[in-house]
Amino acid sequence: MRSMGMTPAEIERRKIYVGLTPEDVRAIAGARKAIEDTVDRHVDAFFGYLAKIPEAHGLIENREQLPRAKKLKRDHIFGLVSGTYDEKYVEQRLELAELYNKIGLEPAVFLGAYNHLMTSLESVAREQITSLRKIGAFDIGVTVDALVHQRERVIRIQSEAIRELSTPVLQVRDRMLLIPIIGVVDSHRAQLIMENLLASIRSQRARAAVMDVTGVATVDSKVANYLLQTVAAARLMGAHVIISGLSAEVAQSLVALGIDLEQIHAVGDLQGGLEEAERMLAR
Amino acid sequence: MVPILKQGDTLIASIVAALSDDDLMKFRDDLAQRIGTVRARGVVIDVTALDVLDSFATRTLRGIAYTARLRGAETVIVGIQPEVAFTLVQLGLTLEGVSTALDLEEGLALLARKKQERR
Repeated sequence: MRSMGMTPAEIERRKIYVGLTPEDVRAIAGARKAIEDTVDRHVDAFFGYLAKIPEAHGLIENREQLPRAKKLKRDHIFGLVSGTYDEKYVEQRLELAELYNKIGLEPAVFLGAYNHLMTSLESVAREQITSLRKIGAFDIGVTVDALVHQRERVIRIQSEAIRELSTPVLQVRDRMLLIPIIGVVDSHRAQLIMENLLASIRSQRARAAVMDVTGVATVDSKVANYLLQTVAAARLMGAHVIISGLSAEVAQSLVALGIDLEQIHAVGDLQGGLEEAERMLAR
Repeated sequence: MVPILKQGDTLIASIVAALSDDDLMKFRDDLAQRIGTVRARGVVIDVTALDVLDSFATRTLRGIAYTARLRGAETVIVGIQPEVAFTLVQLGLTLEGVSTALDLEEGLALLARKKQERR
């Protein structure tokens, strides 16, 4: 919760976003009894909708989480009409959002279910629905933010994992290096690869290096430039770089980008690259 | 400033400390002279000790290599450090047209190969 910055000030700001006024809170108080008396109906409206959605079967068939989700949703409806929307209320929203996340509920499906809940509330609190919808918008804001936040966290963790995948420089035989590059190359990783290669050329006394980019799906102008720089820097140190495994798409995009291909010594596949390097060393 | 040693028909110059622009030009003139007097066929310039190469030095080195070629000697620049190579490339100074090698030993081997090709 703290990682999302849900401070009391932030909560107040969000109330202003949705236009929640003291009159709304008073209005909701008027509907409190009617809604509390029919709470199970509203919970069923929410989960009844989810039961019909194939994407939500993860929750509906989850015997462990479903009772918990139902209880939390029931608490939510009580909270919704309680009139106090403080940190505790938001915390409860986040708890439910975390549960949705665990079972992989899509934001769009959640929004649909929430709308059904609102329709159900409307049936017993027609006059107060405008005010209730404001709280609804508040809830949706918090929940969707939490869902997105969690996803972004996952993406961040994964991209860190990819970056941490080392970029090994392998010695194939005396004076020959192999640099297999797999995955997404951004400028940070590109620089890392270049530094690794140059250091290895020095320490292994390499004269030829094969850079295999079979595992690189896309190349933009930044990465292409880095390829050229690596080739040029290695040459300054007396080593020849052969690039192997440029796919048809990558080759086409390099040409389309207008990259100066003069300096690139490209060979179709890794085998060809290694053979070419052998020939160079034999010379 | 820069000692120029003769080994067979090859001249070996080791730049052991950062040179001022004047020293560099003197080195260039000395070398061009020596190539003629000893009838050198190859020149190795060792820059292992340098951890910085600015654009003037780089251009002068390239000039030396071109001059030496006109005087009938092939030049190899050896010992460019990884960080130096990295910086040069980022500045767009790629010493095109000049041979490079890892170290003195490699440089001499490269000259020997080139000599054989000429035969």
